[in-house]
Amino acid sequence: MKSIFFLALLVSASFSGVSAQAQASGHPAPPVATTATSNGPAAPASRVQSAADSARAYSTQALRFESSWGSANIVRGAEGPVVGTVGWFRDFDVAKLVESSPKAVVEARDFQSKNFRGSLVSSIGAATVAIGIVVSANSSNNAASPILIIGGAGAIGWGLQHINSGYAALSKALWWYNRDLAH
Amino acid sequence: MASTIEIEAQERTYDEAALRVDGGLGRLRIVRGISDSVVLTVGIIRPAGVAELVAPSPNAVAQAKLFEANYRQGIWTAALGVAVWGWAFAINHIGVNQPVPLGITFTTLALVTYGAIRLDTATRALSRAIWWYNRDLKK
Repeated sequence: MKSIFFLALLVSASFSGVSAQAQASGHPAPPVATTATSNGPAAPASRVQSAADSARAYSTQALRFESSWGSANIVRGAEGPVVGTVGWFRDFDVAKLVESSPKAVVEARDFQSKNFRGSLVSSIGAATVAIGIVVSANSSNNAASPILIIGGAGAIGWGLQHINSGYAALSKALWWYNRDLAH
Repeated sequence: MASTIEIEAQERTYDEAALRVDGGLGRLRIVRGISDSVVLTVGIIRPAGVAELVAPSPNAVAQAKLFEANYRQGIWTAALGVAVWGWAFAINHIGVNQPVPLGITFTTLALVTYGAIRLDTATRALSRAIWWYNRDLKK
């Protein structure tokens, strides 16, 4: 019972850690180029038009991520749709989604590598802690159990730190992508 | 030409003022612009002040209020759940070594789950608030 509870706590803690921050089903959609830049000399009316175009492009194309129980949905526009889901061991290609913005691509790759490393190490850590708890429950004098539990907890912490750092990179990637929408 | 100037002005505004969330273990920060200057660190004791930060955008303010209504409560509820179980664990291991009562364990699980749901709602709302704020910079 104790072991099951510890596992449940670990899973809950992981969800909370990831949520502080955001299934591939989408396709990369290049930012909408406004016609304003190619129109040449323009009257004040077209200035208003270009501002409206830019706002419209942002409203329909800009991305954000919304956390959802340990994963993050990448959402396009004001009301959706969800264009992809990232999270533990999800292989959605964020770099491809934001490929129209070079700086966004750099950040997206950073996210992908940190997210994978963090997911891997924290999962190994959770498994190590679970083994430690089981060993501790079965033989109270086993010296290996505290080492396993402490080592596993350290790995979970390192992994969660990497996952969080990855989400900061994802946030930056989407920021750059949205910034370049009106280019 | 004029429209190009208009777009450049919008980009400059976005570069200087657009917000994003920068997270880390145990902290939540909001940074501004291309320089990544930290404009707000969201704590768990005092109200965050996100609504004031995004005040120019009404849609963003609505989402910011939703964030503020859920964030601290979510963290405190989950923390209370863990604390209750820790307290019961300590009490039951002083003297006679007994397992934590099942009722306490389920209470903890319920509190942690409820807290996580509210945290999820809060972080979603924060993401939307920032999205709306940045969107209105491009108007």
